Amino acid sequence: MSEVTYLEAIRAGLADALRDDESVFLLGEDIGHFGGAFGVTKGLWEEFGAERVMDMPISEEGFVGAAIGAAWMGERPVVELQFADFVSCPFDTIVSVAAKTHWRSGIRLPLVIRAPFGGGVRGGPFHSQCPEGWFVGVAGLKVVCPGTIEDAYGLLRSAVEDDDPVLYFEHKALYRRLRGEEPDPSHRTPIGRARIARAGNGATVVTYAAGVDLALRAADSLDAEVLDLRTVWPFDREAVLESVARTSRLLVLQEAPRSSGVAGQILSLVAREGFEHLDAPPVLVAPPDTPVPYAPELEDAYLPSVESVRRALEELLAY
Amino acid sequence: MPAVAAPGVPRATRLELFRLMLLQRFAEERIMALYRQGRIAGSVYTGYGQEAVAAGAGLALGPDDVVAPLNREQACHYARGVPVAHVFRNFLGKGAGPTFGRDGNMHFGVPERGIFPLVSHLGDLVPLVVGAALAFKLRGEPRVALTFFGDGAMSVGDVHEGLNLAGVLHVPAVFVVQSNRFAYSTPTERQMVNTNICERIEGGWSIPCARVDGTDALAVYETVRAAVERARAGEGPQAVEALTLRGHGHAAHDDARYVPRELREQYGDAIERLAARLSLDGLSASEIDGIRTAAADEVAAALVEAEGAAAPDPATLEVGVYATPIGGAQS
Repeated sequence: MSEVTYLEAIRAGLADALRDDESVFLLGEDIGHFGGAFGVTKGLWEEFGAERVMDMPISEEGFVGAAIGAAWMGERPVVELQFADFVSCPFDTIVSVAAKTHWRSGIRLPLVIRAPFGGGVRGGPFHSQCPEGWFVGVAGLKVVCPGTIEDAYGLLRSAVEDDDPVLYFEHKALYRRLRGEEPDPSHRTPIGRARIARAGNGATVVTYAAGVDLALRAADSLDAEVLDLRTVWPFDREAVLESVARTSRLLVLQEAPRSSGVAGQILSLVAREGFEHLDAPPVLVAPPDTPVPYAPELEDAYLPSVESVRRALEELLAY
Repeated sequence: MPAVAAPGVPRATRLELFRLMLLQRFAEERIMALYRQGRIAGSVYTGYGQEAVAAGAGLALGPDDVVAPLNREQACHYARGVPVAHVFRNFLGKGAGPTFGRDGNMHFGVPERGIFPLVSHLGDLVPLVVGAALAFKLRGEPRVALTFFGDGAMSVGDVHEGLNLAGVLHVPAVFVVQSNRFAYSTPTERQMVNTNICERIEGGWSIPCARVDGTDALAVYETVRAAVERARAGEGPQAVEALTLRGHGHAAHDDARYVPRELREQYGDAIERLAARLSLDGLSASEIDGIRTAAADEVAAALVEAEGAAAPDPATLEVGVYATPIGGAQS
């Protein structure tokens, strides 16, 4: 087995999906001969041609809308947004059209929107956001955020094969940082299922995407379980409740601002349905409710770190 | 003034256009009455006065083509073979209606007839039909995707992105613009500087566009049909601007008092214009009345059928949120 990066695992997932199913095609800005802003689609245009790896004008409402139309006709389009921040442009067609169509008509829309997200790359307020929370709670959408090589591949393949619109948020900081064994082409990660990244008994850390690696490092030598959500909407409520029932302590870690996203949903779930299991008030580790700052001094203070997560976890364990 | 002679349009098509327009007119009259009686909840939108565009464009499509109609295009549904009762079931919020009671009025599609459900956000359906047309092009299928939008949506960014994309991708998409003079209460000349939408579409995106009298069903049919066939032949996206006037308010609650009376007089009744042409074609008054009566009877029977349908079951509310539900994973 050869070693690949997180980015290469995504590329392999795209290539294998293109190979396996003629109805799969890719569309996005600069993804063709240029290979994408981050190089994720490098080589695919050469292998599969311009009709299956299609360059788009700067027109997110336009080409996400077109992907929905192609999905209506039974194609399986995979859109690349250059940065997840730009998902605000096609937000309308995603929540108005893609999310609601099956419920009110029975039409299936097998569509994937890939979106590079997250900070730590000094991208500032418009190239660093974690917008996945904007879609948490939107009925009809599935939102996945891989935090490992295996899931980068497996969730992508599952998303492409799924008959619902799936938002696939890939973390920019993991692109070249994570390295691991190349996933087998048969590997699929089930959508809607969390994974215990590390077993433990003293506390449960619920997180996803870049938070997984961060939590594993922060929890080193501490007795904590790390639960990787993988799908943030609809999330695996049973896995959360089951883990908290065993550990009796909960820490939620996310890179999205503290009042955005899935963290509030997890805390709400445990307050409603896991209250009697808790031995300590749940803890939330997340950035403040501000835009993502640019200067290294500011962004480092903004983002959760190994130190801040470890400190919060130690306090929780000591409660 | 009668509709154009249009000698190339066969007799059966002329009669069908007339029938489709009458179905829309009679159904909408019933719908307005039901709304005023409080028997239809929420909003009601009609295409009163714009039936020629709805019927003409709808009938110009082939059976394998797809379409995304809006509020003013009820006759387009009938041209695709949608039963009148199905439309009533949606207005009445019935469980067996096209949206299972989950959406109302004209906000529905009929997947088995190649009709995408209307989305209220104007402009969203323009890129969507470009994508459907792209699928046809990629697969080498001789099919066309068509949608409508109005002068109001001409100020929406999605329309511009969609038109640009249609041109760049050179797809078999057809855009029928219902220039009906008003976006809700705002007249076209206060929405845009150049009110010649055809000129803007041709000049801006190099998409061929033909202007047509939107109250002339035969002219609309011939013009849209030519556009559809050019698109089908691989000549890329096409557009038609139908010049018309919205006959009712934006919705039933809007009495449209802002529409000057002179303007109303300027636009004839599309249905009577076609009736006058049929008369010149040699149809007798009793034959024309026979078509009217048959359409009225069809609408009346459809309403009875729809009113008898069951209401949706609240227990089914969460069914179908996902095509592939995740067992137990929904919060």
